[in-house]
Parts: sequence; C-alpha cells; structure tokens
Amino acid sequence: MLTINILFGINYAVFAVFAVLVITEMMGSVLMLVAWDSVKGKVLDYVVPVWEVTGTFGAFWVVASDFAYPRILIPLASIFSAAIAIFLILFVARNSTIVFAEFIKKRGWLDEKKLYTGYSLSTLLLGLVVLVIITGIIGGNGIDFRNLTFSVSSWAGNATSWLFIIGALLMAIGLAPVFYDLAPLKKLVFPFTIAGLVVSVVSLYLFRHGSLPFLVAIPIILALLVPVLYYLPSAVKIVTNKVFFIALVSADIFSLEFMVYPTAFGGNINVDSLISSGPMASAYVAITVVGLVILAVLIALYSIAVHRRSAMARKAVSSP
Amino acid sequence: MSMVGFDRFLFAFTIGSHIILVSMSIALILLISILEFLYLRNRNSYHLALIRRLKKVFVISFGVGTASGIVVAVELINLFPGFMTLVSETGIIGAFYAEIFAFFLETISLVIYVYFEGVFKWKYTNLTLSIVVASGTLLSGVFITMVNAWMNTPNGFNISEYLATGKVTGVLPWATFATPSTFGEIAHVLTTTVFAGVMLIGAFFAYKYLKTRDPEEKGMFRSMLRVISGVSIIDILLAGASGSNEMSTLLQYQPLKYAAMDLNPTPGTGFSERLFGYIYNGHILDSIQIPGLQALLAKLETGITALPGLSQYPVSDWPPLIIHTTFDIMVVGGLFLGLFLFITFLFYVFRKDFVRNRFMMYFQIFFGFFALLVYEIGWVTDEVGRQPWIVYNVMKVYQAANYSTGLLVPGYFIIAFYLVLIPATFYFFARVFNSNPAREDMKPAAEGGVNY
Repeated sequence: MLTINILFGINYAVFAVFAVLVITEMMGSVLMLVAWDSVKGKVLDYVVPVWEVTGTFGAFWVVASDFAYPRILIPLASIFSAAIAIFLILFVARNSTIVFAEFIKKRGWLDEKKLYTGYSLSTLLLGLVVLVIITGIIGGNGIDFRNLTFSVSSWAGNATSWLFIIGALLMAIGLAPVFYDLAPLKKLVFPFTIAGLVVSVVSLYLFRHGSLPFLVAIPIILALLVPVLYYLPSAVKIVTNKVFFIALVSADIFSLEFMVYPTAFGGNINVDSLISSGPMASAYVAITVVGLVILAVLIALYSIAVHRRSAMARKAVSSP
Repeated sequence: MSMVGFDRFLFAFTIGSHIILVSMSIALILLISILEFLYLRNRNSYHLALIRRLKKVFVISFGVGTASGIVVAVELINLFPGFMTLVSETGIIGAFYAEIFAFFLETISLVIYVYFEGVFKWKYTNLTLSIVVASGTLLSGVFITMVNAWMNTPNGFNISEYLATGKVTGVLPWATFATPSTFGEIAHVLTTTVFAGVMLIGAFFAYKYLKTRDPEEKGMFRSMLRVISGVSIIDILLAGASGSNEMSTLLQYQPLKYAAMDLNPTPGTGFSERLFGYIYNGHILDSIQIPGLQALLAKLETGITALPGLSQYPVSDWPPLIIHTTFDIMVVGGLFLGLFLFITFLFYVFRKDFVRNRFMMYFQIFFGFFALLVYEIGWVTDEVGRQPWIVYNVMKVYQAANYSTGLLVPGYFIIAFYLVLIPATFYFFARVFNSNPAREDMKPAAEGGVNY
C-alpha cells in the first residue's frame, strides 16, 4: 500500500481542486468562444461568482508549495521563469477582462462579448501554460537540471507532452456538456471523454517509460463515472451538480498522485527529500487545519446561499 | 542594467502599482461598511445609492487587485528565489500561508455579499458580510505586513549559524509572527494604507461634487465627503502616532537605517532635526535645521540619548542616502495633510459645511493625490532604507536574486501591461460608478434594490 507524506497530500489535494477549477473555467471558455449566444447564460451563472475563488486556490497552491518544498524554489524559479511570467500576464488579463465584462455597458467598440472573449482566450492560454508546467513536473519534459533551463524545442519535440495536453483538452470538451448541463451537446460526452481518456493513458504510460501501476484504474474509473452518470436519467441531477462534479474530478486528479510521488520530474527528484519537516511541518499542519475550518464554514455558507437562491428561483417560476 | 537591478526594478514597479489598488480596496470596503451601518440606522437613500455604486467599484478593485497580488507573490518567488527559500525554511512563510485563508475569507464572503444579495433575510446580513469582507481584506494586509516586518527585524531561527554555514537551524515558526517591529509596522501600514485610499476616493468625490449639477448627486456626494472627512481626521491622528512609534523602533532595531533617514554622519547627542540637505565631504549642506528636535524626540519616545551615525557602519552597508529626502517629504507631506484636515475639522467646530466651500474641494482633490504620493514615498523610504539587505543583516539582495535572463522579455511585458492596466482600471471605476442615474440607485428595496 502506498503511503504519502501528509504535507505532500495536503499540497496535492489543493492542487487537485485548483486544477479542476481551472478546467471548469477552460470548459466554459471553449463553449463561450464557439457558441456564445446559446451557452452564455449557463456558463456565466457559474463562472462569474467563482472566478475569484479559482484565483484564490491558485495562490493557495503556490504558497502551500513554498511552505512544503522550500528547497526546490530556486531551481523551479530558474527553470520556469519565462512560463511563470507569461502565466502572470495571462492571469491579470483574465481577471481584468472578466471583471470589466461584468459591469460594462456598451460604449463604442468595447462590449460584454468582446471582453468575455478576451477572458476566454486568456483563460485557455493560461490553462495551456499550466499544462506545459505540469508535463515538466511529471516527466521532466524540456527541463535541463544541470543548467536549470527549460527548452521549448526539447519540450515540443517530445510526443508525450503533446499527448498529455491533447488528452486533457479532449476530456475537457467531453465533460463540458455535463458540467454546464447542456443537453444539446450530450452526444459529444462519450466520444470525447473516451478519446481523451485513451490519449491521456497513453501519455501517462509513456511518461512512466512503459509501466503503469494498477492504481491507474482508479482515475480511469472515476473519469468514466461522469459520462456514465450523465447518461442515467436518475443520476443527471447529481452529476451536473457543480459541487459533486468538482469533488469527483478533484478525487480523480488526486488519484493520479503516483505520477509525481515519490518521484517527480521524470524520476529525477525524490519528493520526500524536499519536504519540510520538524517544527515547520507542525506549523504547516496547524495553520492548514485552522484555515480549512474557516474555509469549510465559508463554503457551507456559500452552499446555503446557492440553495436558497435556487429555491427562490423555483418559487418565482412556480408562482402564477 | 544588471539582472539584479532588473529584478529590483521590476518588483519595485509591480509593488508600487499594486499598493495603489490595495489602498483603494481597503478604503472602499471600510467606507462601504460604514455606509451599511449608517443606512441601517437612518435609511438615508443617499447611503443606499453610495453602497450600490461603491460595491461595484470594489468588485473591480478586488478582481484586478487579486490578480495583481498574485503577480506580486509569484514575482517574489521568480525574482528573489533565494529570499523565498529562506522565507520558506523559516516560519514566516506561515504569514503568507495564513494570508491565503484571510484571502478566502474576503473572497467567499464578497461573493455572498455581492452575488447573493437578498437570500438571507436577517436585517444585519449586509452589514455583517461587509464587515467580514473588510476583516478579510485587513487581515491580508496584516499578514503581509508581518512578512515585511520580519524582513526588517528577522528572527525565529539561528541567524549566526545561518550566516556562518548557510543552513537554517533552530527554527521557531511562531516567533516570526511577532518580531520587535511587527505590531508597530502593522499599525502604521494599516492606518496609512486606509488613509491614502480614503483620501484618493475623497478626491474623486470632490471632483464629482464640483462637476455635477444634479441636486440628488450633489447631496449624495456631500454625504460621502462628510463620511470621508470623518474617517480621514481620525486616521491621520492614528497614522501620526504609529509613525512616531515606528521611528523609535528603527532607532532601537535598525540604527543604520535611522541614521540614514535622519542624516547623522557620526554618532552623538543633542542632534538637530535636519530637513532635506545632503552630505558632502562629511558635512551636511543645504538643510533646514531645528536645533535639538531629533534628540528630544528620541529621548521622549525611547529614552535613548546617544544617537547612531553612519560612520559606525561600513559604507558598503549604507542604504542610498536619498531616503533622507524621501523621509522628509513623507513627514512634511503628512504635516500638510494634517493641516488640511485640521482646517476641515474647524469647519465642523464652527458648524460650517466644508463641502460647500469650493476651495476646500479643490484642496480635497489636490490632497487626495498628494496623500497617495506621500504613501508611495513612505514605502520607498522603508524599502530603499533596508538596502542593500533584503533581510536585514542576514541576506543581501544580490544573494537572493534570480539571474536568469529568461525574465527580461516577460518582465517588460508585465511593466507595459501595468502601464495600461492601472489607468484602465481607474477609468473603469469612474464609468461603473456613473453607470446608473442617481435616482435609480436611490430606489429602496421594494423597487428592486437591496433587500434588508
């Protein structure tokens, strides 16, 4: 049985939630770019209140990583310096376009649709940068540890990198109609999810140089659960519930932890050797516990607000 | 420019831009909470309209500020990895980490406050939520200031062993939350940040008041300016008191920085307060001297009579002496701001309406921008005053910096981006603020407004 360090576990769980929140926004972005008029209602209902939470989870992951793996900061800052800077520009672009779009009233050439297009493009590109960094963290693609550099040509010349990104994108397209409950796109769900899953598994296989542990069955089953539930009429309501979906896909990503633990960067780095220990680990756990209690209360309050809002909407529809 | 110079410049530029958004956000949510309280008490429709308008502005400020804050956080890792490694190996990373939870407090309560208005029927809901958002915002500021205080007066690990071996040992994570300068710095940073933001918002309202001909808008802006003047008058007193306390902390724990800020070439007693001037060949030239004042203030605040001088330290450890000038601009600027607010206070004493006085409104506009300038100069004094150290007496900036040239092109893009972003954000603030007619924003809940 695989045991994992608690600090790694907390950090990776935060990453899993952050990744799912980014993916859900990427799904919405693709939909808004290709079918603005027909999807904007459902997509914006979700994206507008949640984009700030996604950003906060991103910051949460970055700082939690600083706390958990202080000794890898200097190498990573050098290796990914350009990618991180591009990520930052896209992140500011994403935030500013969506917040401006929320309140804009048409004047001149700039309108809501153009700003949401800006948001969608910056979110998609931002997601791609995150995926590029993840391929580096998993397989060490494009990374030269001796000189602490990242080579785009070396990264791009590795088919595994592309397979990983294509697989993730195909799965995102397949799962988008489920998350946003878009019945007219239901026919896309199975083909895209399965195609994405196959490509992703091939990329994971190549990342691990031709060997996959039996644990890989867990993320495959969890990923397949989404379309299966969507096709069961009695389960549609459950799987299209945003909280359920985010929890399920977070668990799916969490179950892929064997790709980066106990070794990461293509087996070059032993994760345990980098993790904080002693009083720092105790402080990390203590602050995390207090913080997660606060977070749980806030999420409970948010869920009550969402529930009441839905009840009010149903009441308004049913009253004559 | 060397890579260290570039790292320095990029971070200074980013943080200098970021703190404008920070002070706006903190001031906005504080004013919104006060307006929520006032509206709950007196049901004044001007307050209702102001809440509605400022909430929209706050959401934009928060959204752009959040992104900018993450840029600052990631830049710290990217530009100064050596510093962040030390931060992460000592307990002060806990302050960054705790800040994230304060940030969650702010974010999720803001989402409920703004996007789920009316779903909770308790009449204190909006006031409570606005206070929770404000608490999250202020706590974020508190935690990040803890990091800065630790940079000025580091503790929580065996410093002598670190200097000898480069290894972090004897870590006491919780000690880093309370360095000798922590509480004083938090007090001064929070009061000045709120002050700069409130005064800047005051400038906007004074301008709007002078410009509008709509009597409803005039009434609304007058109401806001009165709230702003009240907050500013209280706040400048707190900022002054906390600033004075900061100097006494400097004298005790960062004597070199103190000597540079007060331009003391040699140690001694009975020093004059020197306004402006510079050192040339060991002599102070072109300064305005107030005999004995520096020594008197030092004695009153700390009991210390022997004051430090630059000659006690190696020249290579001196900060750029321009901080003497920036420090003086900050203090003199603060005094002018205090004078303006004292005159505003006199209007209250003599039961006159300062808003109706056009000159006071012109001054409000001028001092709104001036307060922001003084605030920025204050930060320059603090940060440049710690140079060449990034962590005082522990790590120099060149030891912390990233020398990767891969940062150059994206760095220039970040600078260009901020040059567009900050003016665009302020332009958008104004557009959003004016997006509805005053009468529409003043309609009570039953006609589609806030449901209390």
